[in-house]
Amino acid sequence: MSGALLVADLRAWYGKVEVLHGVGLTAEAGEIVALVGPNGAGKTTFLRGISRTVHTTGRILVDGTDVDRLDAPAVARLGVGHVPQGRGTFPELSVGENLRLGSLARGRRFRAERGADLDRLLETFPILREFLSRPAGALSGGQQQMLALARALLGRPTWLLVDEPSLGLAPSTTLDLFRMFDVLRSDWGLTILLAEQNARLSLEVADRAVVLSTGRVTFQGSAAEVAASPQLRAAYLGKEAAA
Amino acid sequence: MIELLQQVVNGLSTGCVYAALALAISVIYQGAGILNFAQGEMATVAAYSAWSLDALGWPMWAALPVVFAGAAVLGAVIERLLVRPVEGASVLALVTVSTALLLGINGLVTVLWGTDPHSLAGPFGTKALSAGEVTVTSQQLGGAATVLVVMAAVGLFFRFSDVGLRMKAVSQNADSAVLLGIRPGRMRAAGWALAAVVGAVAGFVAAPATGVNPEMMQTPLLMAFAAAALGGFGSRVGAVVGGLALGVLTALAARYIPGLNGDLALSVPFGVIFLVLLLRPHGLFSRGSAVRA
Repeated sequence: MSGALLVADLRAWYGKVEVLHGVGLTAEAGEIVALVGPNGAGKTTFLRGISRTVHTTGRILVDGTDVDRLDAPAVARLGVGHVPQGRGTFPELSVGENLRLGSLARGRRFRAERGADLDRLLETFPILREFLSRPAGALSGGQQQMLALARALLGRPTWLLVDEPSLGLAPSTTLDLFRMFDVLRSDWGLTILLAEQNARLSLEVADRAVVLSTGRVTFQGSAAEVAASPQLRAAYLGKEAAA
Repeated sequence: MIELLQQVVNGLSTGCVYAALALAISVIYQGAGILNFAQGEMATVAAYSAWSLDALGWPMWAALPVVFAGAAVLGAVIERLLVRPVEGASVLALVTVSTALLLGINGLVTVLWGTDPHSLAGPFGTKALSAGEVTVTSQQLGGAATVLVVMAAVGLFFRFSDVGLRMKAVSQNADSAVLLGIRPGRMRAAGWALAAVVGAVAGFVAAPATGVNPEMMQTPLLMAFAAAALGGFGSRVGAVVGGLALGVLTALAARYIPGLNGDLALSVPFGVIFLVLLLRPHGLFSRGSAVRA
């Protein structure tokens, strides 16, 4: 299917320690797939494996293209946007410059639409319009998260990887942000992989979910199935508590 | 008063060379986190190249684009072959590579061109121009104008060009930059190429006064490092202001402090820098962290 993302048998190491043990996942076009699991489950490494910012073995097919041998910039230009943990904004550059960098990341076929896309995003995130000339580092955590999302979207990705968007945000800001994912998915035609420790929130917006625990998939299914699964409780609380 | 103005003009003229070299050092430091001790030697290569083409009968205005293009290639090649392999290495490793570059290029210059000094006439002539009782030569004026134009061009490049923006992004967060399709290696090579061209301009402007010889940029390099430290290694504006200030301070010290002629006058600006850095350890204009190498 066009726009699908297929990951099979993904393995990763930090030094000699294997941290992903053959993780697989399929995301159909237009889906929001949540990766849930506690700290250290391998969610971030999994996303970084897809964007090729960590070395992995296994197979990653992005819309049928094998990206195993591509480097991170090439994968980005293929249409994989990645909002990393910690947002990854450029703190001394202005908000406007951060957004311009997002526009520069896009493929040639979207270049003519730069201005229109920026206007759309500034309507979605109006607070950014007020701070266009302010250094990104001067924004609050929630505003920086919006900036990171807007910057990634300006690259016109087909697949968006979002890593721990709630990190360091106030609960109300987090709620607003998560409600926005569904809108962004439909407005921008995205397939979203959402890695998040807060399982309750991410399962509310996701179509499907994958439970990761110590680098292994322990369960996957629809968001409702995962929410009700003992594997989800086990991943967070340990097997004994879940039982 | 006239005498004072004359010294300030002379100081600004010399300071332009320091400022250009300091700007080149700052561009590389911001992009790659390395202090390029070889910046002066790279400028020396450019000055020798200009002299060689001049000796072959090339008109100066035809030779300069070739010299600057050659400097850019040299900068990019140095980054790719000698600096990139030690990217992310310890401070000591970076200092060692930078020092090896300084010595290596100096040795190469001696092998290629010998140690005999040569003279290189500036392209602006030697006509004396007067404003009231203050005199400035056409070479001083042309040299200063050239350096200022280059500095403005560098500023506009970083402010408005896509490549300049990508270079700034890489210098701040290379891990994030790759997620936006940017290749940090290419941006750093571009930074070295740009710095080499700016340094070459400094060598070209300095050559008519210093002569072309393997040591021609040693004092300017020392002053450029001092200028970058004064302004802040992370600040291009600071480097330029620091260079101009040191040029003026040195000229005034040599003229007005008894017994401080020649190289001894260099001690005054360094004394001022010491005091400034006591109060602002990162320099006058920098908000950045401490120097890595």
